[in-house]
Amino acid sequence: MTETPTNSLLWNDWHVIAEEAAPRPLRPLRTKLLDVPLTVRCDDGVINALRDDGIPMRREVRYGFVWACLGVPTRDIIHIPEAQDDWRCIVTGGAFGVHASSPRVVENFLDLGHLPYVHQGYLGAEEYGKVAPYQVRDLPEGGIIATGCKVYQPSASPAAKEGYVVDYIYKTERPLIVSLYKANPVRPGAFDAIYLFAQPVSEERTIAYTLNMFGAEGVTAKDLRCFQQLIFLQDKPILENQFPKRLPIGPRMEMPIAADKSSVAYRRWLSRIGLQYGTIGAEPLTA
Amino acid sequence: MTIDPKRWYPVAASDDLPQDHVYQTRLDGRPVAIWRAASGDVNVWDDRCPHRGVRFSVGYVIGDELRCQYHAWRFASGSGSCTHIPAQPDAKPAAAIRAQTWPVRERGGLVWTGITPEGEPAVPIDGAVLRAIPVNRAIEDVEPALKAIPDAAFILQPVDTERCVIRGLAAPERTYAIDAMLERLRLTLETV
Repeated sequence: MTETPTNSLLWNDWHVIAEEAAPRPLRPLRTKLLDVPLTVRCDDGVINALRDDGIPMRREVRYGFVWACLGVPTRDIIHIPEAQDDWRCIVTGGAFGVHASSPRVVENFLDLGHLPYVHQGYLGAEEYGKVAPYQVRDLPEGGIIATGCKVYQPSASPAAKEGYVVDYIYKTERPLIVSLYKANPVRPGAFDAIYLFAQPVSEERTIAYTLNMFGAEGVTAKDLRCFQQLIFLQDKPILENQFPKRLPIGPRMEMPIAADKSSVAYRRWLSRIGLQYGTIGAEPLTA
Repeated sequence: MTIDPKRWYPVAASDDLPQDHVYQTRLDGRPVAIWRAASGDVNVWDDRCPHRGVRFSVGYVIGDELRCQYHAWRFASGSGSCTHIPAQPDAKPAAAIRAQTWPVRERGGLVWTGITPEGEPAVPIDGAVLRAIPVNRAIEDVEPALKAIPDAAFILQPVDTERCVIRGLAAPERTYAIDAMLERLRLTLETV
């Protein structure tokens, strides 16, 4: 319920705790962030989020979501430049409770190898199971980026009329926020963008939100929302059947291969920054 | 309790393993996936793919291999060795990538396993396999109560420190009557 060495990194960061549209007048939303019970209310059209124990908490409304920071934020809410683009259809994807740790949810989003099986017929096809080499590097401000990813997708987006090899970029700038950019099927050179925000409810429970920013041509907000929900609901049973629930980030705790480069880099980064909440085996923090 | 590492314990009935099914249970708190290969051999494995920890029990049996649902890695019946990684189909999987296998025997219509069991499982009597009755009570609380039930032999599966499964054998014509007795016994034990 308070800042501890295991959660201090997340304690002083911003997290999505609700979609802006979720709390209705007279129907406040009860949730938890890092085990702390919160209530998000909407009174006279104004959104407010409060800790149930009455301790003051910072909160903001941005990008269609309610954000909260339990401690003293070390930086602003993540900047999402694509949210300003007027050629995009921008829609939030709902709130999905998942019985999995937030780092497991982020890692699954970064994972290329599961697309042909878990998202068969949409984001991958079994005949194209091979993962082509791609590059991963550290970002100067922290986090990782994977570039040059290529995946054959039968139905890459609601705007796709046929299958094609999709160029992908993945980026993780905050421990529990991950984004991807994928080549738009109808607008040459343009990239659709999806952000996933993992709300760490507890060490082993997450609420996942997405912000979908696709080229508006050929899609409706409803299509986009339905598509993203369909995809996430294919991942949910996988995530809930992963054990241990907390992401093992120590060396040699799970067996990666070359195709898991981005997941390996993500785990190493979490280990380096000492993220202990929702993980197992982080390097001990040096004083 | 901790289990006796030298003993065999029943963890499934042979009938629990129809073609292509992966049965899941626990022994002493450890989740195991149990499946029958096309060859007829039974496998008891840690219920966890060594790659990304997804339960094998949500995977698929394909002939003599088990395929993980997450990335479709395939593992061989018997050795547990990884045989195929479709993300890199041209590379032979490293020998270190393998399912954690448990010792296994199929005797008397039951599937037996253990940590490092010695000898062969002791099948107490010839008979029909009774319906498995899970009881939300520790093995020590259940064992004495079974003495009151005649005409059957029971062997308990320790699920964890607080739960067990009553498994056993009886004369075929007595199984319905004993099922009913075990159900009553379960209710009695769980309401204490």
